[in-house]
Amino acid sequence: MSYAYLFKYIIIGDTGVGKSCLLLQFTDKRFQPVHDLTIGVEFGARMITIDNKPIKLQIWDTAGQESFRSITRSYYRGAAGALLVYDITRRETFNHLASWLEDARQHANANMTIMLIGNKCDLAHRRAVSTEEGEQFAKEHGLIFMEASAKTAQNVEEAFIKTAATIYKKIQDGVFDVSNESYGIKVGYGGIPGPSGGRDGPSAAAGGCCS
Amino acid sequence: MLESELHDLSDDADYAASQQQGSASMMLGSDSAKQSSPRDGAEIVFQKDNVAIHPTQFASERISGRLKLIKQSSSLFMTWIPYKGHNSEARLSDKDRSLYTIRAVPFTDIRSIRRHNPALGWQYIIVVLSSGLAHPPLYFYSGGVKEFLATIKQHVLLVRSAEDANIFLVNDFQNTLQRTLSSLELPRAVPLACGPSDMSVDESILNENQERADNGVNSGSLSVTQFHGRPRHKAHDPARDLSIQVLEKFSLVTKFARETTSQLFGENHSNGFSANERRTHIQANLDHSKNSSNVVENTSEKSPVALDSHEFDNLSLIWGKPRQPPLGSEEWIIFLDSEGRVTDSEALRKRVFYGGLDHELRNEVWGLLLGYYPYESTYAEREFLKSVKKLEYENIKNQWQSISSAQAKRFTKFRERKGLIEKDVVRTDRSLAFYEGDDNPNINILRDILLTYSFYNFDLGYCQGMSDLLSPILFVMDDESEAFWCFVALMERLGPNFNRDQNGMHSQLFALSKLVELLDSPLHNYFKQRDCLNYFFCFRWILIQFKREFEYEKTMRLWEVLWTHYPSEHLHLYVCVAILKRYRGKIMGEVMDFDTLLKFINELSGHIDLDATLRDAEALCICAGENGAARIPPGTPPSLPVDDGSFYVQQDDEVL
Repeated sequence: MSYAYLFKYIIIGDTGVGKSCLLLQFTDKRFQPVHDLTIGVEFGARMITIDNKPIKLQIWDTAGQESFRSITRSYYRGAAGALLVYDITRRETFNHLASWLEDARQHANANMTIMLIGNKCDLAHRRAVSTEEGEQFAKEHGLIFMEASAKTAQNVEEAFIKTAATIYKKIQDGVFDVSNESYGIKVGYGGIPGPSGGRDGPSAAAGGCCS
Repeated sequence: MLESELHDLSDDADYAASQQQGSASMMLGSDSAKQSSPRDGAEIVFQKDNVAIHPTQFASERISGRLKLIKQSSSLFMTWIPYKGHNSEARLSDKDRSLYTIRAVPFTDIRSIRRHNPALGWQYIIVVLSSGLAHPPLYFYSGGVKEFLATIKQHVLLVRSAEDANIFLVNDFQNTLQRTLSSLELPRAVPLACGPSDMSVDESILNENQERADNGVNSGSLSVTQFHGRPRHKAHDPARDLSIQVLEKFSLVTKFARETTSQLFGENHSNGFSANERRTHIQANLDHSKNSSNVVENTSEKSPVALDSHEFDNLSLIWGKPRQPPLGSEEWIIFLDSEGRVTDSEALRKRVFYGGLDHELRNEVWGLLLGYYPYESTYAEREFLKSVKKLEYENIKNQWQSISSAQAKRFTKFRERKGLIEKDVVRTDRSLAFYEGDDNPNINILRDILLTYSFYNFDLGYCQGMSDLLSPILFVMDDESEAFWCFVALMERLGPNFNRDQNGMHSQLFALSKLVELLDSPLHNYFKQRDCLNYFFCFRWILIQFKREFEYEKTMRLWEVLWTHYPSEHLHLYVCVAILKRYRGKIMGEVMDFDTLLKFINELSGHIDLDATLRDAEALCICAGENGAARIPPGTPPSLPVDDGSFYVQQDDEVL
């Protein structure tokens, strides 16, 4: 299927926070509690529409265990967006966010759009991280933030699409040189390059993310 | 006529050092050996009589001949021609003669020369070609290995390998440009004068063809018509014709070398091809190569699978030893004496290697293959060991079971580990009947074994992937303690896969890169250009031994084959090479970058033909021979760790 742009996403975060479930909910619109744990990386893809333009999201779902970090780091290369996921019922997954963010900052391109997702918000009775803490962390680090539930699908669609919209806006604003695939963006056959496409923009939004 | 660039022959310190090690002085290119033949402009720069090959393990059955180095224009060639009329040494028909004869191998086709100095017997060399194939050992009955190497060094760049002082690399250029040109030139011995652009045209033809071949992946095998569709090479390119002839000959020679190897290992001919069949097979190929027809056409039904370069078409035809049916109960009894000892473990391993096991036998044989039970143990001893080990298991298990919840509150490490395992066992093979459903007791057993293992080996602990390795073992053993000890035996070898610093994985990925460099230098160069030399795209394959790439039954088949360690402890790495080689045309043809490659490899899951892959892997392993083994650093899993402190050789930054 033709697309105007293809964005590469990467989903990161501790093991068991629901990365694969978020992906499956987004690509297949279903929740599957019984699935194999992710070894290495798995892939998903879906078309969305932004500003009437078909955009293909290619999503990399990574293994969360600490031991695999050295491998996971090689997947950041060329990602336009990242979903950084924690589990609102497990405090430690929130505590590890800073180290995930450090990895992302170090190994991804500086203009990567990062969406922080507090998953499993359907389990409010077991909540261990408040919404305000999540918001606060996102604000401090320049991330977009949402709480979501892969189980009920709440905010799942929104999280993926809002990330894409932010990337799209960056293209329109000329932050990216879309002809350079290291930004995780490919222009498709139906694509219309952004106004400053083809130039190495001085990337005014470097290191952060508009939200 | 072949031409190749004349390389700078400035002196090489490594080589000079090698000269000092020898005691005798030597003459470089002795005058007596130098002859000039004005008729064809070729000059013999080295000649040595009484250089022999050993077709059997008996030196008395050697075939002697004359080894020559010939310089023509600026190219150096090696020939070895058996003597006529020396049939007393070995019965040598004309056909045998043409099989063994090495006619004008250009040094552009030679990757390395390995020198062997046995304490007893004659010095010999093994010439390894850039295709990864090797000529059988050439024994220097009248000495002269040093002179031979020295003469070569006068004409082409010869560098002593940093890894092994007895390996001399040919055309291993330091200069990047030269190296690139060389790598373009080497695979098909195309003269450099043709230039790299010609080469790329040729590659694109091959790639096109491979794309078509790849369409057959899902249906398992390729049809004969696809082979017929293979574009022929330009008919009137003498260089190319020569290179194809040479490659075909390599396959034959290597096939012959394999027979020799089998004989050395005391292999009988009851499995696979009979001696006569082998002979016929060689004969068929020989006749084909003589009248220049396509070897593939007449023999394709014997080998439904083909790799996509000429040398490996021939390779799989010649080497593709058919897989056998799995070992069944009746045949199994034959391997045991009356008390249950395995009388010939080598024969058993070999049988399992070629056919695997009937599922009913796995429960009995896996413990032996994994080294949990000794082959020489009797039925009674195994029963005894089982009961002793059951107690031992219960003791270790009791260590964590006795941790009270109050104690666990002050034991973060334990809680984390337990939590991680509990999260993972419910995400392991739940679609299988054995593990499906809520409150399946087998999931609790998985958890208990993994947690007990993390107390048995507290340093290693638990890491994701272990549950994948344990799942089939528990399924087969169907006994908690037995599954635990088999898992322990497996982790003796695969434990380093799960080290926190991943050094076990890095050393295997490094070894894999070295094997691909040896067995498929164009692919290696491609990965190098595309910054893919870390081989992370093979990470999952190696970490959990292809568990996610095949369906459950096939995974068990593959594992028992790997556990035989029959042709190599590292057969799994050759399995990686075999799969990569099968898709090399697609990978390079579609100019896959790291991301695309990773996705492509991931999506091969469920589409890999196990039997064909194992045949290819065996062929590659035997072809690579010592040279392959030399590329795998000591202690690389699943080898047992070495104790000299040089455990992981991974300083090569290409991997890290």
